[in-house]
Amino acid sequence: MNEEIKGNHSTDEKELKRLSADLDQNIKMVTDQLGTQPDIMIRQLHLFSNSKAALLYIAGMTNVNAVNLLVMSMISEPPLGSSEQVESPFDSLMYRSLAVGGIRKLASLDEVLLAMLEGNSIILLDGFCDAIAAFTCGVEKRSVEEPSTQTVVRGPKEGFTETLHVNTALIRNKIKSPNLRMEYRIIGHQTRTTIALVFMKGIADDKVIEEARRRLDLIDTDSILESGYIEEFIQDKTFTPFPLLQNSERPDAVAAGLLEGQFAIIVDGTPFVLLAPVTFVKFFQSSEDYYQRYDIATFLRIIRFFSFFASMLLPSIYIAITTFHQEMLPTQLLISIAAQREGVPFPALIEAMIMEVTFEILREAGVRMPRIIGPAISIVGALVLGQSAVQAGLVSAAMVIVVSFTAIASFVIPSVNMGTAARLIRFLLMILAGTFGVFGILAGLMMLLTHLSALRSFGVPYLAPIAPLVPGSLKDVFIRVPWWAMKKRPGFQKKEATVRQGTPSSLSETDDEHPQEGSEQ
Amino acid sequence: MQLQRISLNQLGSMIILFLIGSSSLFLLASDASKDAWLAVIVGMLGGLLLLWGVNLFLYRLMPEMNLIEMIFELMGKPIGYLIGIAYVLYFCYKSIRNVREFGDLSIMYLLPQTPLPALMLIVCLLSAFTIFHGVDVFFRMAEAVLPIVIIIYILLFLLVAGSGLLHFDHVTPVLDEGFKPIWDAAIPELISFPFGEIVLFLMFWKYTEHRGNMVSLTVKCFLFSGLFITFTNLFILAGLGSLAGTVSIPLMQLTNLIEFARFLERIDPLVALLLFTGVFFKLTAYYFGAVLALSQIVNRPNNKYIILLIGMVIFFGSFLFRNYLEHIYVGFQYNVKYHFPIFQIFLPIMLLTLAIIKKRRSEKVHAK
Repeated sequence: MNEEIKGNHSTDEKELKRLSADLDQNIKMVTDQLGTQPDIMIRQLHLFSNSKAALLYIAGMTNVNAVNLLVMSMISEPPLGSSEQVESPFDSLMYRSLAVGGIRKLASLDEVLLAMLEGNSIILLDGFCDAIAAFTCGVEKRSVEEPSTQTVVRGPKEGFTETLHVNTALIRNKIKSPNLRMEYRIIGHQTRTTIALVFMKGIADDKVIEEARRRLDLIDTDSILESGYIEEFIQDKTFTPFPLLQNSERPDAVAAGLLEGQFAIIVDGTPFVLLAPVTFVKFFQSSEDYYQRYDIATFLRIIRFFSFFASMLLPSIYIAITTFHQEMLPTQLLISIAAQREGVPFPALIEAMIMEVTFEILREAGVRMPRIIGPAISIVGALVLGQSAVQAGLVSAAMVIVVSFTAIASFVIPSVNMGTAARLIRFLLMILAGTFGVFGILAGLMMLLTHLSALRSFGVPYLAPIAPLVPGSLKDVFIRVPWWAMKKRPGFQKKEATVRQGTPSSLSETDDEHPQEGSEQ
Repeated sequence: MQLQRISLNQLGSMIILFLIGSSSLFLLASDASKDAWLAVIVGMLGGLLLLWGVNLFLYRLMPEMNLIEMIFELMGKPIGYLIGIAYVLYFCYKSIRNVREFGDLSIMYLLPQTPLPALMLIVCLLSAFTIFHGVDVFFRMAEAVLPIVIIIYILLFLLVAGSGLLHFDHVTPVLDEGFKPIWDAAIPELISFPFGEIVLFLMFWKYTEHRGNMVSLTVKCFLFSGLFITFTNLFILAGLGSLAGTVSIPLMQLTNLIEFARFLERIDPLVALLLFTGVFFKLTAYYFGAVLALSQIVNRPNNKYIILLIGMVIFFGSFLFRNYLEHIYVGFQYNVKYHFPIFQIFLPIMLLTLAIIKKRRSEKVHAK
């Protein structure tokens, strides 16, 4: 601790600057660096040992009660003579009297500044060139609420918050196992965002975890403000509309992922936790599937896959059929559609484009606008754009139905980012359908299949377990078999941890702590 | 273009998709009229003999090599170049035929006003796109697509049967005109198309994992495809009767007649989907074969320019035929009788003979 920090290769003199033994000079050094800003609190104290001390912290970053307690414990420190052992005032503070959970000894100005910015309180003592950092972090934070993006009918109603430690606690609360590992690292030169790599030791594939560490270490950026930053830095392939990492606001979903061998990345400052590796079908599973009866869950799975393809394909199929292959429709339907389209001045492709773009605008408006104006948008959308457009003869009623169904279908997919993939592909397919009909759609789908087959998420083929086929894992893809039949984990785990039921697991050493569980809650 | 191991499942899916290709949409061996399906069985058995006795035997003798490596190993450099290039051209030509067939049929049934080159260009680009991603991706696609194709076929069969379109008096009496027309229709046409085409897999087998089970798996998948084609053949015959021999895509014709529960009519898009997938996989497999073969000959693996070069050969080659009729005529009058057997039967047997002689000789040397 008393030598210079060797690892820091920065040539900047200030960063390596050591604290001096003079209290006032130390305080001056800190204020020089941070500026005399109103939220930087410097409390000067005289201890019983007659030594001068100072407490430095940033208001708002610290918990008021913790700081108060800290001050109290410092000023009520017994005079040096009363103790039998003769200690330096510094050690007395450090090992005896401070009423705070975590403390650290700091030597350089750089460390002091960082500790302060993280929300620690710094104690400087006259005559000593070391400082003590006391853990008093406590930013005002949102309480645990129901997640707003991934709602369920049945299942836990708690969601992640913006605070890393709350989020890790929520996961620990679900998995009380010593094998739950969390590795912290700080990324972003300016933001110094803490992120946690969470995985189950013994279940997660070691190679995948090693690869995750490697990719996280390669990130070299000045800021990480949301998990989306991390996602784009570490995903396998950038040029794809498909998400290669899953995100979730739900602790239960993340816990389930961890138990299947995925790893999670929690980023301080966002409730969206990343999960990887991930496969295509994972995005169609909602955590609720596992809480409801398996038969209804199976039904809903199939509905979701159907909706995904409907939201991707329906407009293009409509365009292809009305433009090129009218003979495919049953005669009655053909007559009805032809009658509707009689007055429409545009070709089907343009008509569909107009409506789809309109819907996308409406949707974006719905997300961005202030909540109070919400109903106005619905009225404009439904009445003006829907009904009036048909009455004015600009679009056919059939097209409005197609677009509305497409829109609704795209909301069925549990994962928003997979829904957006379908949205983008929809436009591509519409253009192909407008130029080459069914052939264009098939060509587009074949290209999509090639692309999907080539994708990998942390080495796991994206189309697994369909291609490459893993027959055992198909129990949880299009259907969801009852829990007792899912004896094996579905495929991300390491080979030794395939079985999750039926064998007495050495993984759960904390099983006998059930009574405590009751008292905690 | 990474070359990675492909699993047995993927290999099996590819063999089935490749052999079925588009051949189940057509009436094979239409010369045998009523007994065409028997001719298919004969052709299948002939193909099986070829597969088991020649291709797989060859593979087992030299499991680490693809076809071109075998040719170079057994025939030496000058002849090897000649025959290797001939195989590249053969694979290209097969691919060309599929591209052309697909373009013509699409125009006939789906897009009468679209220019032919545009369609063929798109198909070629799609294939090239797939090949850029490598063997493992291509085989994984087959694995994902096969279940869909099989489900659609089953659906079609059920709908055809449910609409009461099958009349088995179209195919009885069996063996009305004796065995000769069957034999004439089957040999060598049906061995050339589709069963002898399995020779292409000599290019792919070396990329499979778990080689031990590979041989029996290949045979099983071959048999499945053969019986499947026989079945569809029988189906078409029973559904369309004597009309079957005269229409371009009999299965399309048959599904046109489907009228199920006053709701499902004219489900041609499903057949179009089958046609597209079948042809796509077949032509991409040949395209891939040609790319791998040429890369081997010029000893430049993972070369993207070879993919482009072969792609261009295939695209421009598909203008060789003036029209669909010429394409069919050349194919069935000359190619399947005279040209394809060279590559599918004659050359493999020669390679096998050479391989056996070589093995004997080296054993003798070892014995001494």
